[in-house]
Amino acid sequence: MVNQKRAEYRMLFKQNVERRLLVDKIVRSVVVACVIIAIIPLGSILLEVFRNGAAAISIEFLTQLPGAAGATGAEELGGVGHAIQGTLILIGLASLIGVPIGVLSGIFLSEFGDMKLANYVRFYTDVFTEFPSIVIGIFAFLVIVLVLGHFSPLAGAFALSLIMFPVVARTTEESLKLVPLTYREAGLSLGLTKFTITTRIIISAAKSGMITGILLAVSRIGGETAPLIMTILGSSQFFHSFDEPMDALPLRIWRFSLLPYESSVLQGWGSALVLIFVILAINLAVRYYVFGKRINIFGLFAKQRTGKKI
Amino acid sequence: MPLTTKPAETFNAAAVKPQPVDERYKMIAENVSVLYGDIAGIKNVSMKFKDRSVTALIGPSGCGKTTFLRCLNRMHDMTKNVRVEGKVMIDGIDLYSKDIDPIYHRRKVGMVFQKPNPFPTMSIYDNVSSGLRLNGIRDKNVLQEIVEDSLKMAYLWDEVKDDLKRSAMELSGGQQQRLCIARALAIQPEVLLMDEPASALDPIATQKIEETITELKKEYTVIIVTHNMQQAVRVSDYTGFMYLGDLIEFGETKKIFTDPGNELTAKYVQGQFG
Amino acid sequence: MTRLIDPSLQKLSLTMAEMGDMVIECVSLAIASYLEGTDTRTRVHDLSDKITTKYFEVEDLTFDMILRYQPVADDFRLIRSSTEISYAFSRFGRYAYDITQVRTFFGDISECRNDWLYEVTAKVKHMIQDAAQSFAELDIRKAITIQENEEFVDRLYLERIPQLIETNNTKCALAEALLLRYLERIADHAVFMSDAINYIVTGKHKPTKEQIISHRSPSV
Repeated sequence: MVNQKRAEYRMLFKQNVERRLLVDKIVRSVVVACVIIAIIPLGSILLEVFRNGAAAISIEFLTQLPGAAGATGAEELGGVGHAIQGTLILIGLASLIGVPIGVLSGIFLSEFGDMKLANYVRFYTDVFTEFPSIVIGIFAFLVIVLVLGHFSPLAGAFALSLIMFPVVARTTEESLKLVPLTYREAGLSLGLTKFTITTRIIISAAKSGMITGILLAVSRIGGETAPLIMTILGSSQFFHSFDEPMDALPLRIWRFSLLPYESSVLQGWGSALVLIFVILAINLAVRYYVFGKRINIFGLFAKQRTGKKI
Repeated sequence: MPLTTKPAETFNAAAVKPQPVDERYKMIAENVSVLYGDIAGIKNVSMKFKDRSVTALIGPSGCGKTTFLRCLNRMHDMTKNVRVEGKVMIDGIDLYSKDIDPIYHRRKVGMVFQKPNPFPTMSIYDNVSSGLRLNGIRDKNVLQEIVEDSLKMAYLWDEVKDDLKRSAMELSGGQQQRLCIARALAIQPEVLLMDEPASALDPIATQKIEETITELKKEYTVIIVTHNMQQAVRVSDYTGFMYLGDLIEFGETKKIFTDPGNELTAKYVQGQFG
Repeated sequence: MTRLIDPSLQKLSLTMAEMGDMVIECVSLAIASYLEGTDTRTRVHDLSDKITTKYFEVEDLTFDMILRYQPVADDFRLIRSSTEISYAFSRFGRYAYDITQVRTFFGDISECRNDWLYEVTAKVKHMIQDAAQSFAELDIRKAITIQENEEFVDRLYLERIPQLIETNNTKCALAEALLLRYLERIADHAVFMSDAINYIVTGKHKPTKEQIISHRSPSV
């Protein structure tokens, strides 16, 4: 009697399975299709930039100052050396301000996160993560440019650090939180202070997540244009001093795109390509430096994806 | 008239000599209670732990044995909304008194956790020496000596001595747990607390841990929480049975498991509940 | 809630109960063969064999339980004492058989019976019944009576043997000597049994009279 019931029940499953496998296959195809559809535009952007910009790349382009717009000869046309320099300076300065403050805030949020203050900080960082960058630019303009009386790379770095800070703080906090509580307990049981535990044990365990967060922020600010308009203005000279306007790649790209000349458009594409390569180079260099020579190039990409140690 | 005094040969000299004071207890817990808001996790638990002995704490899940264990080295300092009352004394000094620096005394009481937790980014050598290095001890020779001594006591030296620079995560579960024991021993504690140290391990690894504990008790006072009663019988000299936050019975392991005084204890050890 | 060990414990107590019944029958028949002259040899031999077989069963069962279940506390004491008690039962069976052998050697010796033999055999039968019942109910108060009866048997044994040396009736003297010897041994084992039962209930090995009297009956 019981065996008959069981056989009946088993019949149920048998019918169910084939349909479910089919549904599974369909959904899987849909998902893959969506991914491909999402990647196509990104891929084609890269392709376009490479296709159009490759022609503009030359030693002069990378190292020279801009010459006359609309000129035809390579020497007369000049390059964007100053913009590359400007971008690097801006990223460096902004990181100098944004990274330490962001990391320390992230540590505060993670290790002392139960306090009311922490909840406020978290709320504000969440709000500021996707804040309109042009508003941040205006703020920097009011606070630094007007006070100093002139455009300055400092204003630009300040604006970019404001954009950088919430991203770094939140990713640092999340990376630290991913480190299991048991390691903190182990440190405590060894008679270590909370400071020692956090700095010597927890941070090195959360290192890859934190680096990913920082590089994310760097890549973001490397491409920001709006805040730069009102803070460094742009120029055709190499960097002289902190009291003068400066140029950066995103700014240059935008300016190129407004000019009617074909050569300018080409140089615009070239600058875009250079910008992409600069960001890529910073990413790889930092990962190589931090994570050592053990890992090959694909390992570095894997780290980027998952943030986990291999 | 018969003599009322006893003849000389039956005079008991030992009865005249003053009795020695209670044998030396390394750690004494007095009326320890742990309160989460209004709810008591454990209520008025008192225990005495003899020097160089192994004491096992048994009881069903949620009875408070781990909560009590963590009181013994002030681990509850890390948890919010928890209040600990009572005294925990090592060599007569109360760990919870206001003038004691908890970090200093936490070095006297080491702890090994249920799931092995060697620091993931450090090598075997760095892990064992972490308690020393991060506390400011830099002398390489001293560190090397202590690391070797600790690994030997944890029965891990022979298996890892060829390459101490390997990452700690490359070891098996049982080896990682012995590594954690070595790490705890490196700071030269006097009492070692173990929270179900073998529950995440396979039987062979468990056996090795139990052998290690039996060796350790020659030098240290060990207190171990276990849900495995056979382990308690094999390894411990004294056993405490806890239930719903109370200490129900405490005594020599042999007695608790052959002739327990409390009926609840008898029911629990025979598997009639829990 | 049935534990894994419970079916085995039930089997143990069943086997012991069977042994107890067999022992009582066995010893009664043996004594009757001496005092009444009845030929009970085959039956007693048969029972004695059965009891010994059960003894080996109990040994196997107890060690199996120890291997598998690692019993503690009450279970542990019960199992430990069961080996002692079942051995005592097997000895009772064996001595009962030895008593019937007396009739085999000497023929019908019912004329040798006398008042104190009736008394001592009655007491021994009582002891065995008390011991078996005491184990079945885990009631240790009977230990006092068992103790007293054993002392009686010992006393009689020590008094009678010298007297037997002086008598003229060799046949009766030898028969009685053998009987008293076997009865004395049975009585000893009954006391061992009651000590083992006491261990189950109190956890102590050799109780004093005061401890037995003051111990509560375990009936629930």
